[in-house]
Amino acid sequence: MSAERGTLVVVDGVNGAAVRAAARAENAAAPGTRRGGVSVWDASGVFEDLALADPGAGAPSARTLLLLYAADLAFRLRWEIRPTLAEGRTVVAASYVATAVAFGRAAGLPRAWLNDLFAFAVRPDKAHYVDAPPARAVADRSGFIEFAHDRLAARPSGPTRRQLIDRARTYMQPPGGRRLSRS
Amino acid sequence: MPHQAVSGRQVLLRARERFVDPTRRGFLVAFEGPDGSGKTTQRKLFKKWLESEGRSVVTTKWNSSDLIKPIIKTRKAVHALSPHEFSLLHAADFRHRVEHVILPALWDGKLVVADRFLFTALARDVARGLDLDWVLKLYQPLLWPDLVFYFSVSPDTSGRRVTATRTPGFYEAGADVTDVDDPVESYHRFIKRVIREYESLALIFNFITVDAERSITEQHHQIRELFREGERRPWSEWNIDAVSEWLSHSKGRA
Repeated sequence: MSAERGTLVVVDGVNGAAVRAAARAENAAAPGTRRGGVSVWDASGVFEDLALADPGAGAPSARTLLLLYAADLAFRLRWEIRPTLAEGRTVVAASYVATAVAFGRAAGLPRAWLNDLFAFAVRPDKAHYVDAPPARAVADRSGFIEFAHDRLAARPSGPTRRQLIDRARTYMQPPGGRRLSRS
Repeated sequence: MPHQAVSGRQVLLRARERFVDPTRRGFLVAFEGPDGSGKTTQRKLFKKWLESEGRSVVTTKWNSSDLIKPIIKTRKAVHALSPHEFSLLHAADFRHRVEHVILPALWDGKLVVADRFLFTALARDVARGLDLDWVLKLYQPLLWPDLVFYFSVSPDTSGRRVTATRTPGFYEAGADVTDVDDPVESYHRFIKRVIREYESLALIFNFITVDAERSITEQHHQIRELFREGERRPWSEWNIDAVSEWLSHSKGRA
């Protein structure tokens, strides 16, 4: 094990497939001895399980979805991200905190609550943003915001689902983060 | 966005209009306490009594949402949860029940009896080493019960009652944080921490403490009296954010 802490690179965006592709490219670009792999959203399977839930159980709210996102991130930090960093290698997270915060802000949740919720997360060394619209085909919807877009409880007095995604894209662009692509 | 701002104000007014009126709003009573404190027995007796008085009662139990409970159950079974994951998943379960069970019932003027409330998470998660402030924020916007009955027992009584009939489960015994293999020994160590947190919360949040070492009948009569005194309390304005947020995504109510 290396005494030097590794590097955490995070990739965020509303299009899950594009985020994963960008993360894989980042991982491939890392020097072979330091390459630590990609930690992807829903490694814990929480959302996979949620997708199988009885529709009669009721649609989750934005807060519920974000608490689940945080639980999944805690799992990824414990099993994938922190161990790789402790070995002194580079790990790429696809997606990370910015995706969840952008979704929460788009849904109208207070920024302070979102920041507190993810206070346990490791601060990234590099942050990238993939500026691509969400996938239209159901089979390609492999990211959190696309998942949430499909399942979020209806908001009669709030933004439409389309507006929610557009807002999330606006909130996503992190100050100091690098834009990787546009489509 | 002016349209959204007006909408938000309307929702706020609607929430206040409904909940300030004591003839229309429901009432929320929470039963809290460590395992083995007898709160479930008292909750059942309380519910029967309320129904005999003609009240419409809805019961909600800890970790019971149809959406999240299965997710927690499968992970508990394989001992796969860290304290953070445990805490976050229970907060998600609670939020879903607040939005789909508790607030709809209160809106309809029903009396909701919660067998454990968010204070269970505070006591257990802090006993697992998490920060109280962080855990409390997970539950925002906070929904405060009208009454919280705290069933106070000693760690010895809790341990004796629980282990008399069964072996404590892995997380119930706090085996994920005590590093003790024997579930009974682990439970004894963990419940001391949980009760210490409960006692602090009882002071901070002004719980009504019930001496759960007394007989079942004595406790039940005490709860009836305390409930009769407490049900005249005005609605807590602290709850306005929780109700407004729920209304903003509740079809047909906003």
